[in-house]
Amino acid sequence: MSVIQTNMLKKKFGDKYVLKGINLNIDAGQVVGYIGPNGAGKSTTIKIISGIIDEFDGDVSVFGLDVRKNTIEIKQRIGYIPEQASLYEVLTPIEYLRFVGKLYALEDDVISTKSWELLRLFELADKAETRMNTYSKGMKQKVLLISGLIHNPEIIFLDEPLSGLDANAVILVKEILMQLKQAGKTIFYSSHIMDVVEKISDRIIIIDKGYVIADGSFETLKEQAHKGSLENIFTSLTGGNEHNTSTAKEFINVLRS
Amino acid sequence: MDKILLKLLLKFVKLFANKGIDFERLKIITETKVMMDRRRSPASWKRKQQKESKNPLMMTLIMYALMGLFIGVVIFSLKSLLVAMIFIHAYLLFMMAMTLVTDFSAVLLDTADNQILLPKPINSRTLFLSRVVHILVYLSQFFLALTIAPVIFTFINYGPLVGLTTILTLMLTVAFSIFITYLLYALILRFANEQKIKDIVGYFQIFMTIFFAVGYQIIPRLINFDNGNFTFTLHWYSYLLAPVWMAMSVDSLYQMNFNNIHLLMIACAVIVPIFTVWFMVKFLAPSFSRKLGAMSNDAEVIKTNKVVVNHKKDWSEKLARFICISRTESAGFEKVWKITSRDKNFKVQFYPSLAYLLVFAFVFIFKSGKNITEVWAHLHETKMFLWFIYLPLISISSSLAIIPFNENFSAAWIYQSVPLTKPGEIISGGIKVLLIKFFIPVYLILFGVAFYIWGQALIGDFTLGFFNNILIFLLIANINEHSLPFSRQANIKQQSGKIVRALLQLILIGALIGIHFLALKIFWLPSALIPVSATVAYLLLRRIQNLPWLQISI
Repeated sequence: MSVIQTNMLKKKFGDKYVLKGINLNIDAGQVVGYIGPNGAGKSTTIKIISGIIDEFDGDVSVFGLDVRKNTIEIKQRIGYIPEQASLYEVLTPIEYLRFVGKLYALEDDVISTKSWELLRLFELADKAETRMNTYSKGMKQKVLLISGLIHNPEIIFLDEPLSGLDANAVILVKEILMQLKQAGKTIFYSSHIMDVVEKISDRIIIIDKGYVIADGSFETLKEQAHKGSLENIFTSLTGGNEHNTSTAKEFINVLRS
Repeated sequence: MDKILLKLLLKFVKLFANKGIDFERLKIITETKVMMDRRRSPASWKRKQQKESKNPLMMTLIMYALMGLFIGVVIFSLKSLLVAMIFIHAYLLFMMAMTLVTDFSAVLLDTADNQILLPKPINSRTLFLSRVVHILVYLSQFFLALTIAPVIFTFINYGPLVGLTTILTLMLTVAFSIFITYLLYALILRFANEQKIKDIVGYFQIFMTIFFAVGYQIIPRLINFDNGNFTFTLHWYSYLLAPVWMAMSVDSLYQMNFNNIHLLMIACAVIVPIFTVWFMVKFLAPSFSRKLGAMSNDAEVIKTNKVVVNHKKDWSEKLARFICISRTESAGFEKVWKITSRDKNFKVQFYPSLAYLLVFAFVFIFKSGKNITEVWAHLHETKMFLWFIYLPLISISSSLAIIPFNENFSAAWIYQSVPLTKPGEIISGGIKVLLIKFFIPVYLILFGVAFYIWGQALIGDFTLGFFNNILIFLLIANINEHSLPFSRQANIKQQSGKIVRALLQLILIGALIGIHFLALKIFWLPSALIPVSATVAYLLLRRIQNLPWLQISI
């Protein structure tokens, strides 16, 4: 059954449409990679589905519930992890997680044991009582990940979850996503890193200029790309197309001058 | 104190909370916010190299309470209750609005807050109420700190009835100050984007710091001025001012005088604040928060298609060509010029010391106890112009102690990674900026004032003073530890020997003023000393330019 459904989803900022009619149908347990160039509307889509932006055209439902009407229930059952590490930096991770946990109406001792355990697994236990304004971007991202998962949500939205993480943490997060998938969670995430998208996604959706331009598994997309229709987008995302090579050459020439 | 206030407010909310409010979530949100307020270092008194205190908010509140103590004295010193009340209400209105703009704006304009709270299952009424409770806790703390002394004084001097009325009118003043603040914000939002707002708020903060720096010096002196009985006449426009409504209301209860004018004032005092706040919450606030929300979204859109092409030559780039001896020096010059224009922390630390110039002039020249007009009339017969000549040293040389520090200190790796053979030239470039950008304009203004008072006989002295100022400035730069501009982290404890240096500095300045004073006795001597001073200044500048890496601390 489909847990996320959007029907002719449109959104405009000012007089400019960022999303121009997005139709999505995502089944429970799927891992969906949502990709596209900068400014394509990835974050906006995620924010609308998770009930953060409530002004939009079209219909969006999660768990069969209307996002506009059942916002609170939906938010309780999903986890959202934003791109920029926005959290209250003057708090310690323990204090921050306690804050978030209480907002999800978890019991105090549950929050406490969970936070300590999860921080330990992310190797942050020794810094758990230090204020986060001294943290690196990767460390904040880890706390953010924990804060989005602490209430054991059914659907997880991640906006560029791997940015700023070191190589080890990337592997760890990838593993965690795989485990979550096996536990039957639905994962919807946006990313630039094709290598990761390729490895863990069941399904890839590419958007550009406010439209969905491709939808399917990595293999099918690759085939389509070779037929020409998607080539530009896909190669610019996977890297190594002719345009980039020529830009690089020009760059070197300017340096020499 | 904040926690007690919060508890009280929450109890109050619980009594009246209806179904739509999620009390547990309200509690955790407000508790967290209050805790964060405690840890946020206040905007207006970031003094130099202060170490992070445990509860900076408490420090601010104590400062405010002290200020309230000074202001509260007017209740005893002014014979007219009405004037004293106008003074206190105006003060509260000003302070509340300024605090809200400078300090609380960090909270109000925090778009990260939306990112954190919106994805969580909280209904909008609870979220709204949590904001209201948070703001109320914040306001009540400052309200208490600011008014505790004046209110106690009112009780002592005028009895409980006037005291209680004063509390009421002061509270109404706070409500009105919120509306004023809101209007300020709405105005700024109307014309500016997020970055602009931060800049504007920054200027308010600088203004506040100056206000406090100067206020602490001048207000206690003003109170001694024994002008206990100046009268206050109500012009027609007085009726438009909120503090006058409040003061008139208190006065009317004190005199038990309820004529038409007083009743009208009481009506204004009660109705206007309540109506404006109601109007704001009902109609203006929703569009305000939408605008704020849109702001962060706009920023995203703009970022993607903004192309910067026109590179206008900055002032400093033109100036550097005439003033600097090498490309290294002009690099230092341009950098320091631009950063001192843009870095808020530099401005917050340095501009108040410029404002101190006024204070010093006031204190030195018009020593208290004497009649100002009399001093002014006889000023041209004295040698007070020496103060005008050497005042800039005291305040402007403080910039030397500020420029080594910057929040972005780690960017100084660039000095090490480039083949820089004469690091001293970067420092000398910075010093030239301080002299040209701050010293020369201030000196010219002071010269203008002195010229007006003493006439052209001063030109020689001011020329000598010009080089002497530069000489001492460079001497201080030579004695101080040398570090490259904006290369060090603030907050780090200063190395020892600071006091010795400061003393040495004062002795040098004193000695130079003494020499100049003595030289005045011989008519031609000051002018003859000009080349000597200029030469020594030049040699000192050369020394800095030739500083090797070894003598520069990183």
